[in-house]
Amino acid sequence: MEMIEIYVREVTRRLPEKMRNDIALELRSTIEDMLPDDYTEDNVTQALEKLGNPATLAAQYRELPMHLIGPKFYDIYISILKLTLTIVSIVVLSLFIIEKFASLSNVDTLSMLNVTGFIVEAIRIVIEAAIQNAFWVTIVFIILDRTISPNVHVPLTLSGTPWKPDDLKKIPNIPLKKAIKISEAGAGFFWTIIWAVVYFKATHLIGVYESREDQSGLEFVMTVFQHDVLLSYWPLVSLLILLELLLLTYKAKLRQWTFKLAMSNTIVHLISVIAFVIIISNPNLINPEFVTYFSNILEDSQENLPSAISWIYGIIVLSVIVTSVLDCYSGFRKAKMK
Amino acid sequence: MSDLLNSLTTELRRGTLILAVLSMLKTPQYGYSLVQLLEKSGIEIDQSTLYPLLRRLEKQELLSSSWDTTESRPRKYYLISDLGIEVFELLQAEWEKMTSELRIVLKGAETDGND
Repeated sequence: MEMIEIYVREVTRRLPEKMRNDIALELRSTIEDMLPDDYTEDNVTQALEKLGNPATLAAQYRELPMHLIGPKFYDIYISILKLTLTIVSIVVLSLFIIEKFASLSNVDTLSMLNVTGFIVEAIRIVIEAAIQNAFWVTIVFIILDRTISPNVHVPLTLSGTPWKPDDLKKIPNIPLKKAIKISEAGAGFFWTIIWAVVYFKATHLIGVYESREDQSGLEFVMTVFQHDVLLSYWPLVSLLILLELLLLTYKAKLRQWTFKLAMSNTIVHLISVIAFVIIISNPNLINPEFVTYFSNILEDSQENLPSAISWIYGIIVLSVIVTSVLDCYSGFRKAKMK
Repeated sequence: MSDLLNSLTTELRRGTLILAVLSMLKTPQYGYSLVQLLEKSGIEIDQSTLYPLLRRLEKQELLSSSWDTTESRPRKYYLISDLGIEVFELLQAEWEKMTSELRIVLKGAETDGND
């Protein structure tokens, strides 16, 4: 009967060559055993129904898992995937940003078109790297699951051995609420780099953009800050960057909030806020052109302008102080937690 | 509910299947005759599980096999090996122990519930 032949072939084509003949022979004779002497197509259908999906049957014969990554490797797979994705994203993004901004020359101005293109490219690069990373990690684990798995009977840990109570001694005893995640520290490094770049390249980045007459995007009209004045604070800003990086390293090393860390955090915040106020209070900081431009937008008389500016100034300083205080407070609160 | 019960029942049965199969292979049997034997004893078995299981047990050297080509169609006969007998007896003892323990546990739960 044709259906039996097809069924047997559907099973055996999924098997390694050397198993095929034997299993085909046995399967065929078994199916025939299941049938009455004068069988009809209905009998065959019923018999095959009992044997079920040929793919499932073949999988049982092969003893290969019908999954890519089984429970023995799943947890370690997810951990490695998360870890590598975080590292790869941060590294790729940082390299990309440093490369792009370092290549900005004094003549260049960043048009809006560039900014959109820049963000799109950054996202594209990170997604590409993440896909590559996930692909290769997954491939490695699929191979691991198929090669090592038969000899392993319990899930493995990151050290490559089965879990044992002594493994707990290697894990620092940090309550989840006090813990500082590595990704948190990584994001901190990333932001510090971004702000450093923005500061040193402010002339090309922070300013007024207007649409071009030919609608081909935005044109950089003027900077908000006076470049020389802003950059004259470079020793102070460099010191801040250095302090911030030191604090992040300290955080990454401790992995949890302590009183000392909360103190250091407060000191860095204090210095940052003072530096920020010093820089922003410089009356020559803002480009005079921009002041005029701004007052035109407000459609206000020049007399009201100083009060408007001092309002904005007040709001910015206040919000910086409030966020700093909140962060310092949360540091101490976490340090006090048991 | 019935789906859940089905999957739980399958899970309960899974381990006992090897015991049942080994117990029946003191005399040589081919695939389908084994199914009939098991069914006669009231043991329901998924055939798509049984045939691969026989091969697995053979690979683990608990069974030995031979082809009989003298009949109208060739049949593969399985027979328990010496190692198989040894393992079977140990498994059987384990099973007896487990069931008697479980019986006590279940009885205890029953009388506790009646209190």
